[in-house]
Amino acid sequence: MANGFNQNGQTFRVKDCTLIVRMGGVEPALNLREFRERIRVCPVECLYHHFNETLIRPSFDYPGFRNDFAIWSYQSLRDPVLAEKLGIINPHSFRDLEELRSKIVEIIDERLDEVHYIPWVEKGNEFRFLRAATIVFDTGVELHTPIELVKKLPVFSTSSLYYHFVEARRRTEDKTDDFSAWMNRLERVPNVLVRLLHDIDFYFLNLGELKRTLVDATINLNEEDLYDA
Amino acid sequence: MPNTLADYQPVVGSSAISQLHQLAAHLQGATVVHVNSTREGGGVAEILQWLVPMMNELGLKASWEVIEGNQEYFSTTKAFHNGLQGKNVHLTKSMLSAYEGTVAANADRLRPILEAADFVFIHDPQPAALLELCPNRRGKWIWRCHIDVSSPNRRVWKYLEEKVAKYDASIFSMSDFAQSMSHPQFLISPSIDPLSPKNCHLNKSKIDQVLRRYKIPNNGPIITQVSRFDRFKDPVGVIEAFKMIKENIAAELVLAGGGATDDPEGAAVLEEVKDAANGDEHIHILFLPPDAHTTINALQRASTIVAQKSLQEGFGLTVTEALWKGKPVIGGNVGGIRKQVHNYHTGFLVDTPEGMALRVRYLLRRPQQMKTMGKTARQFVRENFLLTRHLREYLTLILSLKQGLSDHLMAD
Repeated sequence: MANGFNQNGQTFRVKDCTLIVRMGGVEPALNLREFRERIRVCPVECLYHHFNETLIRPSFDYPGFRNDFAIWSYQSLRDPVLAEKLGIINPHSFRDLEELRSKIVEIIDERLDEVHYIPWVEKGNEFRFLRAATIVFDTGVELHTPIELVKKLPVFSTSSLYYHFVEARRRTEDKTDDFSAWMNRLERVPNVLVRLLHDIDFYFLNLGELKRTLVDATINLNEEDLYDA
Repeated sequence: MPNTLADYQPVVGSSAISQLHQLAAHLQGATVVHVNSTREGGGVAEILQWLVPMMNELGLKASWEVIEGNQEYFSTTKAFHNGLQGKNVHLTKSMLSAYEGTVAANADRLRPILEAADFVFIHDPQPAALLELCPNRRGKWIWRCHIDVSSPNRRVWKYLEEKVAKYDASIFSMSDFAQSMSHPQFLISPSIDPLSPKNCHLNKSKIDQVLRRYKIPNNGPIITQVSRFDRFKDPVGVIEAFKMIKENIAAELVLAGGGATDDPEGAAVLEEVKDAANGDEHIHILFLPPDAHTTINALQRASTIVAQKSLQEGFGLTVTEALWKGKPVIGGNVGGIRKQVHNYHTGFLVDTPEGMALRVRYLLRRPQQMKTMGKTARQFVRENFLLTRHLREYLTLILSLKQGLSDHLMAD
């Protein structure tokens, strides 16, 4: 029941998660060529971490970029062109992490063709590949109706929202959030709420912003507002 | 009386506290032993002073043991400490023999509790050899390395690597500090206790009282560095920077620190610092006892800017403390300071005394920017470096080791 709902789909059990980061088992990259080579062979969990788990990992939130590859390109390689090209990548738009890997390698290959020397960093500024273990646990909170979800969103922890709204896209068949997956299985689907959640462009939000966006979008909804007329 | 988790709710929010209880529900009764080399002084002891009681409050059975050693043992472990941070040190047979003898004596004393524990956290190199002296251990052993071992003296590392490689996992404060090893290497940043005497709110009269006690004028900017008198903290470089600052701006410099029981070099460095200050009445050198937490709190809060111009650094909890108090930090561009000080957001990273002088002068002319940085700094610490996050990561790590180290685990 990783998605939060059981087979009959009536009850949604709210989960929460915590993360522990570990070294990715790949040598650090000192220049753009090494960076490319490491990305080509690193475990997909490293790609997932550097693109998605930056949201939940303790770190400084650089609002300009959402993924570590872009931040390193900008701050350490001092290559704003590469940083912009990597920074715009939305990992959720790819079929899987291997497709994401191909795209990143392609962008770096193009950049390697363009530059007149291989950008490098000083020792100490290497890119270090990381991955993380996520522990998921039950909060004990149950939702029985979509309106309960709307009313309880303001008290969700940000990590719980991360789990059900962001991380869910790795687990659900339709690459959607757990809430929508649950509501789509209900006898009467709250189409308005499902569409509203679908339309949130969340990838460039941090978790605080995501929570505010979700709450602001739903706080004034009553039960009848959740369904198409 | 130690603080309870409920006391932290107003600071970190109720969901952060609920999370801890929900995680710990899966670890009820698990025995956890922490071992380090000093009960007082230094960041590790400060962490264990709250971590152990809180693990107990959450239903784990946690305890804290301290290695007992003589001067020769601590001189040797200080040499380890310096060597692991890249300094050229020479380990003699007699030093290694003193180290191994002391650890063996401690192993005899601690073996029953260590071998019976579900999880043993060995902090830093001082007690690292305990593992091989506990052959009937039943739990998971984790080496918790608080210092930067990324560029060690090779001979020192080779000696220690043999010991720490046998652990089930290791923990480093950041990825840049780690050494490549065959076991899993986790990353947990340290943290501060926002309710401890060193970090709790102080009213103005208390702060003024401390300034009066040490005869520090408060009618102008105060620049403070709080740290042990240790060459890696570059107190002499701070004095050089201050002399450059004073050419343009009247200010006071406070260098406040103490020594830990495992740091025999402190007195020598203190003399070097006094020589460099050369009797300047605007340089206040305070050698404080290990329990001067409220004094340090007051000095940090009284400061306009806090410096931590280290040449090498572990995580740098004094930086975290200053950021929590809403102070911009001028930090050495090394170690964990880089994780905390973000240029133009929470302070500035510098590489030289000139760099420090430049950034201090820049900030002193921009009080509004300092205020904004201070707000960002406090929020940054609230979200990332308070003890509840630290405790949560320890629990997550323990659960992860208990359940087999997969990347995605359901707690059961």
